[in-house]
Amino acid sequence: MDRIDRRVVIPGELLAEDPKKAGEGTYVKDDKVYSQLYGLVNHRDKISVIPLAGKYVPSVGDTVIGIVGDITVSNWIIDINSPYEGLLHISEYPKRIERNEMAKYLRIGSSIMIRVKDVDSTKKVELTLNDRRLGTLNTGRVVEISYTRVPRVIGKGGSMISMLKKELNCNMFVGQNGRIWVNGSDEDMDLVLKTILIIEKEAHTTGLTDRIMDFLRTEKEARS
Amino acid sequence: MSNNVMSEIKKDYLYHLVMTDERADGRSFDQYREISLETGVIKKADGSARVRLGNTQVLVGVKIQPGEPYSDSPDRGVIITNAELVPLASPNFEPGPPNEYGIELARLVDRGVRESKSIDLDALCIVPGQKVWILFIDIHILDDCGNIMDASSLGAIAALMTAKVPAEQYGLGEDWPLPVRDIPVATTVVEFGGVLMSDPDTDEETAADTKLTVITTTDGFVCGMQKRGPGPLSMDNIYRIVDISCEKAKEIREKFLDV
Amino acid sequence: MDEKLSFFKDGIRLDGRRPGELRPVKIEAGVLKRADGSCYIEMGGNKVIAAVYGPREVHPRHLQKVSRAIVRYRYNMASFSVEERKRPGPDRRSHEVSKVSREALEPVILTHYFPRSVIDIFVEILQADAGTRTAGINAASVALADAGVPMKCLVSSCAAGKVDGQIILDPMKDEDNFGEGDMPLAMTPDGEVTLLQADGRFTVEETREALETARKGCEQIYEIQKKALIDRYSRLEEPEEEGSNV
Repeated sequence: MDRIDRRVVIPGELLAEDPKKAGEGTYVKDDKVYSQLYGLVNHRDKISVIPLAGKYVPSVGDTVIGIVGDITVSNWIIDINSPYEGLLHISEYPKRIERNEMAKYLRIGSSIMIRVKDVDSTKKVELTLNDRRLGTLNTGRVVEISYTRVPRVIGKGGSMISMLKKELNCNMFVGQNGRIWVNGSDEDMDLVLKTILIIEKEAHTTGLTDRIMDFLRTEKEARS
Repeated sequence: MSNNVMSEIKKDYLYHLVMTDERADGRSFDQYREISLETGVIKKADGSARVRLGNTQVLVGVKIQPGEPYSDSPDRGVIITNAELVPLASPNFEPGPPNEYGIELARLVDRGVRESKSIDLDALCIVPGQKVWILFIDIHILDDCGNIMDASSLGAIAALMTAKVPAEQYGLGEDWPLPVRDIPVATTVVEFGGVLMSDPDTDEETAADTKLTVITTTDGFVCGMQKRGPGPLSMDNIYRIVDISCEKAKEIREKFLDV
Repeated sequence: MDEKLSFFKDGIRLDGRRPGELRPVKIEAGVLKRADGSCYIEMGGNKVIAAVYGPREVHPRHLQKVSRAIVRYRYNMASFSVEERKRPGPDRRSHEVSKVSREALEPVILTHYFPRSVIDIFVEILQADAGTRTAGINAASVALADAGVPMKCLVSSCAAGKVDGQIILDPMKDEDNFGEGDMPLAMTPDGEVTLLQADGRFTVEETREALETARKGCEQIYEIQKKALIDRYSRLEEPEEEGSNV
């Protein structure tokens, strides 16, 4: 993340003259690369634009945090903090259950850690729970931030999230859709949630990890 | 209408035609379909006209009634234009109050009549501040086979030119012909496959992203313009369309509206 | 009204502008918390706020398009925005303005990324002073970018007018009411026209001149829109003061 050149661009701004450089958040017209987003330019092998805002669009393999919104004949309908709801078919539940018992296993309102199994061209989203690491979140808390800030909460090579877990003795999971689950003592969870909101707000500033570290130390000292 | 779905094959075919300098019905790009105009078709109306533009059919009725003036123009007559895209005219029209397409159509016809100062509103005052003649221009689309805009505009001015103010009926003296001072004509052009086509039919309207309607007066002034549809237009094409429109409007005016 | 009213004094307009000059324009992006994107604009005496919600689920469902997002635009005048109180709610004029404004923005929005969804644009005219639709489009364009909606580029809009037989940029209220013509235009920075309307009386030559005049206005507004978005980012960038909470 430290290779962001931090230049802010607007949609339609010329980024490069070489169409091979076109990365995420850009488009090519007449062999030139333009930004299609309001965001920050990122130069690597390709030029991409990191959005400053926007909606989460699921892609296959994403692990997200969903909330059960409805139950139909053979699907749970899951809100995944996106313009598109996800469908969890009864056969994607890790064990065999009967249709009439669906509500017993996943109630409306349940939070679940879940994976995107398939997305078709009309953005019909199929989800799965068929993995030991996935499942219902019965304890802890969930906070929602913009999905565009997820990479900052995770940090370079997972540095930010490791630090948070270590410093605060919490279990954490960051969904690609911007929902974050935290579990630990109430006091620790309060501080984690507070910290996450600061990261969201200051996502694009320099020296963020260091500042967050200082913040956590100060807060913990005040506590003891 | 925008909710018309067109098959890829058909769109390709239309592109192909354009590439070979043709239109599906054999017209040249700036050629209008055959126009026929009949006035005085509705006896209950004070002025009326039925327009056929190819297979497109529009009926315009004008009703003139005494009523109250607007407070900001107490000694001037009032024009109220309305368009009904009735479900009989197209599978894409739905019953109910006018949608944005109907409203846009009516407002464009209205703009042509108003901005050309075609109607002398001062002459429509009966008692200043109390009673003026109100002109209702009602556009009834009967068969939408494309370009209902130009057909409606033509119908409206033709109906107005043949309208009589029904003074006698209201005890206000003898009936008199509605004075029409200018003859605004609307012409519509679409851009499709890099060419400009006048008087689009339904398929051409559906295939093209965008149309430009230009309304001109008898002495060649542009008195109204509107880009319609979600596609862009280049400045050069706008200039060309304005030129084409002036010419076409002149032809239509001379052929159909010269009293 | 007095038809002989003169709109110029020594070549200068009644509000002190030259014929080709815009009224002062002020744009601020990101002014609303709840909306996904927002923008406030002042163009002369116009005060307009725009909000963008979405892409989000379409209700009612039958409006969904399987291959792209639909765009909705609601132009609404506050009842106190004009001299004489306006009856609240949409009228025929606002339906038309909403339609052409939507069509002014649709060409630049990359809707195919979001099938079956809707992008809602809400524009509220808080104070009206001629040119509300152009102000609305300018604000909506910035609000779309602010919402992170993928776009080919921004759209900029302003009108040309005709008074005393002369073409002017950005007519103010009196010039609009008592002038000889008004021609609102919206365009992309590379010159594609996405909105064009006209009323009044223009010769073919004047039509061209008015289009050129409005184009120059759009170019200036584009720079102000761009700056508003860049300034918004520098506001984001400033870290909170030490110890303060969110």
